[in-house]
Amino acid sequence: MNFALYKQMLKVHGKTILSYSIGSAFYLLLIVGIYPSIADSQAMEKLLKQMPEQWLKAFGLNTGMGNLTEFVAGEYYSLLFILILSIYCIMTANQLMARLIDRGSIAYLLATPNSRQKIAFTQALVLLTGIVTIVFITTIAGIAGAEWLVSDYSLDRSLFIQMNLVGLLLFFSISGYSFFFSAIVNDEKQALSLSAGVTFLFYCFDLVGKLAEKVEWLRNISLFATFQPAEIAQGNADLLPVCILLFALGMISYIMAILIFSKRDLAI
Amino acid sequence: MIQLQGLTKVFPNGKGIFDITFTVEKGEVFGFLGPNGAGKSTTIRHLMGFMKPTKGTASINNFNCWNEASSVQKHIGYLPGEISFLEGMTGFEFLNLLAGMRGMKNFKYRDELIERLQFDVHTPIRKMSKGMKQKVGIVAAFMHDPEVIILDEPTSGLDPLMQQTFIEIVLEEKKKGKTFFMSSHSFPEIERTCDRAAIIKDGRIIAVKNIHELQSMQRKLFDVVLTSESEVQDLLQSPLDIISHNGNRVRIAVQGNYDTFIRELAKYNVQSMDVHVQSLEDIFMNYYDRRGDER
Repeated sequence: MNFALYKQMLKVHGKTILSYSIGSAFYLLLIVGIYPSIADSQAMEKLLKQMPEQWLKAFGLNTGMGNLTEFVAGEYYSLLFILILSIYCIMTANQLMARLIDRGSIAYLLATPNSRQKIAFTQALVLLTGIVTIVFITTIAGIAGAEWLVSDYSLDRSLFIQMNLVGLLLFFSISGYSFFFSAIVNDEKQALSLSAGVTFLFYCFDLVGKLAEKVEWLRNISLFATFQPAEIAQGNADLLPVCILLFALGMISYIMAILIFSKRDLAI
Repeated sequence: MIQLQGLTKVFPNGKGIFDITFTVEKGEVFGFLGPNGAGKSTTIRHLMGFMKPTKGTASINNFNCWNEASSVQKHIGYLPGEISFLEGMTGFEFLNLLAGMRGMKNFKYRDELIERLQFDVHTPIRKMSKGMKQKVGIVAAFMHDPEVIILDEPTSGLDPLMQQTFIEIVLEEKKKGKTFFMSSHSFPEIERTCDRAAIIKDGRIIAVKNIHELQSMQRKLFDVVLTSESEVQDLLQSPLDIISHNGNRVRIAVQGNYDTFIRELAKYNVQSMDVHVQSLEDIFMNYYDRRGDER
């Protein structure tokens, strides 16, 4: 990696990373904060019981509101967390490669005595630094919030950290293919629509697969099926194979992206 | 210093550059002339290692431009034709980034260049005018004191005064023994600095000539206004190559025969005279035509 490039890129994208982190942390704190009022209300539990099973499953509510960990898993990690990080991955991956290639400004970077591999690797590292930062700050906020905001209820730290770790790996692989598209395509918009399209499709497959039993197989081809925060919160998910799969997918995407980028023609 | 050997790149649409061969010696300022779309930028992309040749090789300092791109780049400075910098930083931060990526230690020449080009380097890039960006680009290309400098259409976007400063910088660097390769679609831009030039058309080199030879080959058009139509009629009988005439105004093509031109005109009452600005194809018209006929 090239340190000068890494430093400058972090400076440029730092604001984005920080605002995503703060947004994510605050929303999680909000969810943690409202838990006591919901936990004590019988009405909510009743309301949920009346909902169709499939529907609850689709939105991660099937575990109920049993404890704070499950509540956070259902209310934050099954939707908003995914949304925030998907947007970060797609947008930033696009800006780090495809935009520079499309506008030709990468020519200045490539004109320095650094190999293309090195430059692409540095850009990938900037993207990953952002993901780690966002997830890390979210995790800290969750633990701290549970400690100070709602001290009567306890968050299972080990399960909560596991949830965040699998989430981190999920976005390692999502950022991987986003970066891949970003590095191999000439047109910024094309790269953006490819990575956004694939992510949206994955999400839909997962959602539809959960809602309709007939097409449950769709979930098998969705990356989002690997991340089941509700089940992690209950402590009955087998995480090792999932982690290995996500890690491998991410690694392969990044390696392919860097290799193809270093061999391709650039019209810049 | 720079060697192109049968360099060929064919794009899927059949266009590209074909069998480009020439050598640029150390200390030489070499011009690369051609109309837009002739293949100048494609050739430069090969020199910079941005593209892989279909056939043939490009090398600088005996390093292959594709396989050993990062070794090549140690010794070169580059000014892209289209100026597009990274976003979200000032010109100074941008230059610092490139200096950092080059492992540059000595910033004296950089500061000197900024001083000379007279611009505020701390302006955010997105607020810069085209000319200002061009100046940042020039500093980026020269600041690390490279042996070879590759410039793609260097003076586009610079006002005439700055073009003069730029030419001075090029000539100074030339004195220090630097090698230059600069592309252009305008002959006057090349004429003032280059020792030799290659002319490219439709992806093929049609001439590599000493700049004085090219100067003698270039065809200039003069718009001359005489006092009466009868004078115009007389002038038509002269050996001058008269392209067109309209009233008192006569357009005369001159190629090398300046002396005859002056002597003939001296016989009449000339009211005004202008040099007609022409495209590259027009300047080297007979060159382009003759080659076109052969093929």
